[in-house]
Amino acid sequence: MTTGPALRIVQVGFATTVQDHGRFGLAHLGVPTAGPVDRRAHDLMNRLVGNPPRAATIETMGALIVEALRPVVVARSTDASRHTLAGGDRFRVDAPDGSVWAYLSVRGGIDVEPVLGSRSVDTLGHLGPEGFAAGTMLDIGLDPGTDLAAEYAPARNPTDQAVRIWDGPQHDWFVGGRQMLIERPWRITNELSRVGVRLETGDFQRSTRSHRQMSSVGLVEGAIQITPAGEPIVMLANHPTTGGYPVIAVVDPDDLSSLVQRRPGATVSFRRP
Amino acid sequence: MERRPYGPRAWLVEGVDDPPGWAAALAAIDVPGVVEIVPAESTVVVRCIRERLEPIGAVLDIVVPAHVESEGERTVTIDVVYDGPDIAALATAAQVSVDDVVRLHVTGSYRVAFCGFSPGFAYLRGIDPRLHVPRRETPRLSVPAGSVGVAAGYSCVYPSASPGGWHVIGHTTHRLWDVDSDPPALLRPGRAVRFRMVSG
Repeated sequence: MTTGPALRIVQVGFATTVQDHGRFGLAHLGVPTAGPVDRRAHDLMNRLVGNPPRAATIETMGALIVEALRPVVVARSTDASRHTLAGGDRFRVDAPDGSVWAYLSVRGGIDVEPVLGSRSVDTLGHLGPEGFAAGTMLDIGLDPGTDLAAEYAPARNPTDQAVRIWDGPQHDWFVGGRQMLIERPWRITNELSRVGVRLETGDFQRSTRSHRQMSSVGLVEGAIQITPAGEPIVMLANHPTTGGYPVIAVVDPDDLSSLVQRRPGATVSFRRP
Repeated sequence: MERRPYGPRAWLVEGVDDPPGWAAALAAIDVPGVVEIVPAESTVVVRCIRERLEPIGAVLDIVVPAHVESEGERTVTIDVVYDGPDIAALATAAQVSVDDVVRLHVTGSYRVAFCGFSPGFAYLRGIDPRLHVPRRETPRLSVPAGSVGVAAGYSCVYPSASPGGWHVIGHTTHRLWDVDSDPPALLRPGRAVRFRMVSG
């Protein structure tokens, strides 16, 4: 039985954090769920190393390099591959070509101290271990004792497919409602984070049903808010619990992975479910 | 009250008279598949697993607002030193004296309307209408934990350091947020709150 840290961060990469499935049951106290922006990729990487889906992985926008301090089994979404590293081996994790978020899973799961029931780093509410740097040591959990699944390459996210959207609770505040988003493709801007991604500005006309001022209302992952300037903002995994802009539509949870992996400058088309 | 669709994993219930009470009543039923119950100003959002959306919707139509859990009724008293950097600006905006700001703020009886913005950040209803002023035009990049603020018809106490646009009128040493406590937030929806002036 080996003990002590299993990985050392050599190069911290961009927007690198630990993520499991997030915090639940505390949204009424203002605690965001957090969790992986691309839940599908996170779960698949766990499956590749025989972990349960909710085991903690490392999420990054890329340029992450880790070094194994003892033998470990890892998988990365860069090329959906699984590797057995020996002590001293270095391993680089980048987002797959043309996408944004990448995941590194380790058999046993990343073991940082849970805060409020989750190992996820909440980048909005500042919960969990922030401030990774070169030299940070990472522990891993116990071997799950599972058989390793036969190696397989999970299908790439179909980022060329239309994303399904449902009516948001304030869809009727806008002339045309959700159809406004469906009738043409939308460009992804460079304002993207774990909290949300902004789409290009559109010409959203308020309807007669629109209230002049909206009060704070609970938010959900995938909610598309329209700001007074006509900017659609899609709420992602680390969204705040409440928000003050009308929600015109909600992205189908099964299509979130496809949406979040589109890079700035790429477009997204929406369709009815 | 009206229930509106909010995607495949949530309902928005609008026109709720007492969102904290209604949320507590729903939580007490312990409906399978409900993931989060989020009261806000006049609404409650119920997040759930996708497979249970329709049956949960039917349950929401028959929830009757109950009295908030008894714990919510115990008043929290927060000691405040009224030395905030925005107290004079608030007095000017409200067209009262600085002493009036303190007097009006400290005599109010408050209740947590809802939480949001950051973990443990409570919107306190019950502020004197004379202190209803908009947020600062330029938000501060960092407001220290324990800062007591006023804006947009609410009062607040910053549970942790964060950016913020409220007028800061004082500070408290009271700990409002502690991840090692259960629950971690002192000010929870429905809870009654009073402020007491102390000298720094």
